[in-house]
Amino acid sequence: MTQLAEKPNPISEKKVMTLAAALTDGMDIALERDEKVVMYGEDVGVMGGVFRVTTGLQGKHGKHRVFDTPLTEEGILGTAVGMCAVGWKPVVELQFGGFLYAGLDQVISHVSRYRYRSRGRWNTPMVIRFPYGGGLNLLEQHHDSPETYLTHTPGIKVVFPTTPYDAKGLMLAAIEDPDPVVIFENIKLYRSVKEEVPTGYYTVPLGKARKVMDGSDVTLITWGAMVTQCEAAAKAALEAGISCDVLDLRTLVPLDLEAILESVEKTGRVVIVHEANLTSGFGGEIAALIAEKALFSLEAPILRVAGFDTMHSPFNPINHFHRPEPAYIADAIRKVLEA
Amino acid sequence: MYKTFTEKPIQRIGEDGKRLGRQKIGLPPEKLLEMYRDMLRARLFDEKLVLILRQGKTSFYSQSTGMEGTQIGLAHAIRAGHDWVWPYYRDQGLMLALGVPARDVLAQFMGLESDESKARQMPHHFSSRAHRVVSCSSSIANQVAPAAGMAMAQKYLGLDEITVCTFGDGATSEGDWHAGVNMAAVNGASVLFVCENNQYAISAGLESQMKCKNVSSKGHAYGIPGYFVDGQDVVAVQEVMLQAAEEVRAGGGPVLVEALTYRIGTHSSADDDSKYRSREEVQLWKNRDPIVRLERYLEREGILPDATGRQALQQGIRSELEQILHQLNLESGPSWRSMFEDVYSDLPVHLQEQYQSLEVEQLALERAEALRRAGARERAEIHATQLIGEGSY
Ligand SMILES: Cc1ncc(C[n+]2csc(CCOP(=O)(O)OP(=O)(O)O)c2C)c(N)n1
Ligand SMILES: [Mg+2]
Repeated sequence: MTQLAEKPNPISEKKVMTLAAALTDGMDIALERDEKVVMYGEDVGVMGGVFRVTTGLQGKHGKHRVFDTPLTEEGILGTAVGMCAVGWKPVVELQFGGFLYAGLDQVISHVSRYRYRSRGRWNTPMVIRFPYGGGLNLLEQHHDSPETYLTHTPGIKVVFPTTPYDAKGLMLAAIEDPDPVVIFENIKLYRSVKEEVPTGYYTVPLGKARKVMDGSDVTLITWGAMVTQCEAAAKAALEAGISCDVLDLRTLVPLDLEAILESVEKTGRVVIVHEANLTSGFGGEIAALIAEKALFSLEAPILRVAGFDTMHSPFNPINHFHRPEPAYIADAIRKVLEA
Repeated sequence: MYKTFTEKPIQRIGEDGKRLGRQKIGLPPEKLLEMYRDMLRARLFDEKLVLILRQGKTSFYSQSTGMEGTQIGLAHAIRAGHDWVWPYYRDQGLMLALGVPARDVLAQFMGLESDESKARQMPHHFSSRAHRVVSCSSSIANQVAPAAGMAMAQKYLGLDEITVCTFGDGATSEGDWHAGVNMAAVNGASVLFVCENNQYAISAGLESQMKCKNVSSKGHAYGIPGYFVDGQDVVAVQEVMLQAAEEVRAGGGPVLVEALTYRIGTHSSADDDSKYRSREEVQLWKNRDPIVRLERYLEREGILPDATGRQALQQGIRSELEQILHQLNLESGPSWRSMFEDVYSDLPVHLQEQYQSLEVEQLALERAEALRRAGARERAEIHATQLIGEGSY
């Protein structure tokens, strides 16, 4: 069942946090609760990470639990596999999503396969987290949204927090999860969204979508920074009398298919929006699932709005043509309604 | 002949500007002055870029101040435009000294249509086909194996070109670095590997980066010579690099040179270095300024331009950059259309479709913008006539 953004426990104290601060808070609590949790990566210790998401954690929990590594993604990910084998829970940071490639062999050859190849005698319950996403003029690999490489790899869970509340709850759930979880932290969202977050421990379950807006004409299915873009498009559509059901998937693996189908059966019209480029993007998987399970509920062909099949837009201080803009989404909403 | 694997970095000029060792310095005065000018040019380029970053004309900058001895010494030891160079991002001083026009380097930083990479690369990702400078990726140490491959081809073809590959100290921890150096070594490829060891990889100091005593000693692991030179001493750098480059050119296989230097500025415009290093340490290295060291030597030799001459030199560089910027400010970046070019050798159907869909959006946006501007102009005119009517001019 879809949950309208779960309400935090009213008794718990709350504090206004950015998404980055909420992630830090979640990691802080995990370090406090479980001595098997360790955190490491490039510049995460003394400096608190290049986006300052591990700020203060080394000072509070010690250098043996939060530490800097040499510059090697393969080394970072590979050592985490070994730590897992003796029951540790490493939470490792990669400096950007695009630097995952330098360590991808460990992820695909080891991290994802340990449980399977050892009959579950060993597992790799690590968390791999990194900033990702475009729209900030950080070009080349700094811009990438590499989720497809991971969703295509069996054994790995994939999480996209988009609100501070979710960020903390998903972080704690990911650390506790018995499987490897990759957390995609959107750079644009790190400090642009703020809300009240409970200061205590709580989790947001993996595999449950969040209903961002309730509507009956068109379903918008999205994740990551595109939630904001979809909300903007849906609000504009509402002014024209069109109501959109906006789903923030929160996790791609496991996928909340129930929530997707429930919405599709209601509206009959679907637009899927993601930042990663179109071809072989996860949107194609969702479209296929809808076609398999709810074809006869559809009133129009499913449309996808995604990054273009090119690297990124050229350096330009003002315009970012590459990411789905609310205008492109509005256009797709119009098209599925006209069909 | 300089020795490999020395305990201490090789030096030619002391802090006080005195020549060290018995050997005379072979560089003629014109060459020394050219190197001096190139070092100043790199330093002033840094100053200017920090300024234009503040003005929002570029998005990101990593200074090389303090590393001029290393980069300019290297540039003057290889055959610019003949040898191939795989640089890393902090090499703006090297680019300028190799003769890549400041205009081109600036256009890259500003993301202009005329940029060789057509603004598709982040600032600092240099490339110049004409100068045999090969474009790099953002992934640290990604250039090492490709440089080895190029040099394998050069060796096979029997060319007298060599390949130069630069990187930081942090880069030597990446698997790619080890794979590339080993491939070059096994194949006897003609690569000059140059480590610009500025002692930090963002916040990571050398002790957290490597257990071995320095980078050049890693040459032992691959069976190749390793030289250790004082990167603040441009003369030592030039002489050691020249010896190493000629060994490579003679077919002796790859050589690794480590220049010990320091970055005076922060890692990049997004960094705060006070978190991980003391001000005293930074001051210590500011006092080891490679430009000042060369000035002291030139003064002793009686060839340093006088204060007015030095001022004129700096003024000349400043106005050169000023003029270029003036020109470049009139240029613009590439349009959204260029995003679809060069992905493949042709434009496949799916990209054609995406191109067309974006075109519809962009044309609509352009029309809306034109209307908005026209509206604003109209409103401004109405406003102006009202003001005139009210007699408040
Ligand atoms: C594969 C990869 N991992 C991480 C980064 C992020 N990063 C950019 S520069 C840098 C430090 C590099 O240090 P060093 O090689 O010593 O060069 P320096 O910046 O000191 O000149 C890091 C970690 C990257 N660009 N690529
Ligand atoms: Mg360095």
